[in-house]
Amino acid sequence: MSAPLPTEAAGRPAALPRSRGGDGAPALPAARTGPDWLWGVLLVLPALAMVALFFLYPLGLSAVSAFQGRDGGWTLANVVKAFELYSLDMAFTLAIVLLSSALVAVLSVAIGGYLTLGENRVAVTLLRWLYRWPLFIPFIVAAQMMRSFLAKNGLMNNLLIGGGVIEPLQAASLLDWRGVVVTFVWKQTPFVALMVAGAMASLDRSTIEAARDLGAGRLRILAEIVVPQVRPTLVVGLILSFVTMLSVMSVPMMINPNSPTMITVDMAYRINAHGDYGVANALGFVSYAMAGLVGWFYLRHGVRQGGAR
Amino acid sequence: MAELHVENLTVAYGGSRVLNGVSLHVRPGEFVALLGSSGCGKTTLLRAVSGFVPVDGGRIAIAGRDVTNAPPERRDTAMVFQSYALWPHMTTAQNIGYGLKLRRWPRPRIAERVAEMLRLLKLDGLADRNVTQLSGGQRQRVALGRALAVNPDILLLDEPLSNLDARIRLELRYEIRALQQRLGITAVHVTHDREEAMVMADRIVILNAGSIAQIGTPEEIYRRPASAFVASFLGADNVVPLQATRTERTLEIAAGPDHDAVSLPLGEEGARVEMPGSGPVAAHFRTESVRLAAAGQVPPDALVLRGRITQAAYPGGRWRYGVAVGGAVFLVDDDDRRTVGDAVAIVIPPSALHCFPLRREAAGTA
Repeated sequence: MSAPLPTEAAGRPAALPRSRGGDGAPALPAARTGPDWLWGVLLVLPALAMVALFFLYPLGLSAVSAFQGRDGGWTLANVVKAFELYSLDMAFTLAIVLLSSALVAVLSVAIGGYLTLGENRVAVTLLRWLYRWPLFIPFIVAAQMMRSFLAKNGLMNNLLIGGGVIEPLQAASLLDWRGVVVTFVWKQTPFVALMVAGAMASLDRSTIEAARDLGAGRLRILAEIVVPQVRPTLVVGLILSFVTMLSVMSVPMMINPNSPTMITVDMAYRINAHGDYGVANALGFVSYAMAGLVGWFYLRHGVRQGGAR
Repeated sequence: MAELHVENLTVAYGGSRVLNGVSLHVRPGEFVALLGSSGCGKTTLLRAVSGFVPVDGGRIAIAGRDVTNAPPERRDTAMVFQSYALWPHMTTAQNIGYGLKLRRWPRPRIAERVAEMLRLLKLDGLADRNVTQLSGGQRQRVALGRALAVNPDILLLDEPLSNLDARIRLELRYEIRALQQRLGITAVHVTHDREEAMVMADRIVILNAGSIAQIGTPEEIYRRPASAFVASFLGADNVVPLQATRTERTLEIAAGPDHDAVSLPLGEEGARVEMPGSGPVAAHFRTESVRLAAAGQVPPDALVLRGRITQAAYPGGRWRYGVAVGGAVFLVDDDDRRTVGDAVAIVIPPSALHCFPLRREAAGTA
């Protein structure tokens, strides 16, 4: 999307050197291509430098050092060690993030769907006002809140006991993988719901009315008319939140620090306790691989969408 | 094929009334056009019938069943939208077959029905095409096929031709009308295009400010507009104020600054007057139903206005002139070529005159 901007911008300033360089030289084509090309590069350069300096370089360095020993030679030892020690955590991480993404998808579609198709005005207004709040709360604060909410003597169990739903003896702590999933879903649903609800709101209302008019109920309209039309937005939202959840350390650290845990916690441990950057980078490399996988899926999806149009 | 009864329908949006006690009966198999300028309530009436607009008072019955408070999905109506409202993630065939899928038809039957619709609407070969690849006219045909496939009690058309270019619009007018007659389906069509309503509908309902101004066949409302509003809306928008007295068989028009006194016959071939006794009237006439004459050659049996040509244009077929009479300018069509500045007479035959009491006319258009 941003691609046309630099080239467009590059085309215009080219007129300047051309008029200035009018020293009677008949070799116009050569005089034209030189400055054109140069100006284009000059204009893109600052942005390119930022990307290279603050993104490509650290990324490359971390990827490369995953395959280097302490002596600087090439080795697979770090990767082997990372898999020996943490393969369970890798599977755990992937499972947690996938499960959270799936729940986020269901909930954000439900929220967006209700905001779009709901007929109780009070409920719609209330939901619209409420659902965005977690967006403004940092992960670490959310994790802290969940610790006091989901603990054995936490607010949730107190409420359930007070309400007579469970006996005091039945109260159990949810501060394990379930707590991580709950926190991730609580924190990420508003983000995806915001995107999805926006896309749903910009749909042509009459496509929804046409389905209702032919006799479709609201659940059917949501599943067969609304969601298919906002699918690209939903997928983008889910991929972005997949990558975000993959990189969060505070939540697993505070809610589920025991093994198996997420690889962000392991990376921190390798560095803080052992100064072992090699294995930490190898774990980071596994993270990139997971994020790269969904990135690839996104691109493939995007290309297919573009092809259909 | 079903009938539609609308009785004393009232609809308001946030305090302001959009429909003011509208009553309408559409007979089975009839094609009715709701005609009016924007904001007159015609689309609201259609959406109230389809169930998308809640009703404040009155009653709607389709095929004898009271549906006043039924949600849209429980009414056997099918709507065709101005924006087509096709589902972009479905093919042509899936769009047309969706209503049948909702009705749990078995797949082979759906395929059969869809094929029939595609044939009927001249969309053969486009079944598996994504609807976003179709032209505007093709899209609206698909939308029509989707509505007709479920064989609804009532077909509702919400300005379906407004987004199409002129040529396709003319073509589809006749196609929709022919299809409606062939299938014998009851249809209600909303439009702001007078000609579209005239050529498509069996009867036309003219709405003004949330109330029905007149209901009638195209010929009735054209030849006998019931009010100054209807007359103006249907093209009789040249208005000249006159002093007139109605007798049993004639209309006696008193002389004015730009015309002589004249006595015109009343009735079918004569002038139409919507008032008893005498008083000031607003006389409406159409651009195309009068002619021009040279200043001296005026016939005795017509109202003649003396004026001067201020503008000339040739829209095709006949010339169109702007003629200044007193302070007003009237548009008049004429066969002959004339020059701007010529002194002419506008000859208005009695049958071209629609007179309404002046006071009511002022109130009607306010």
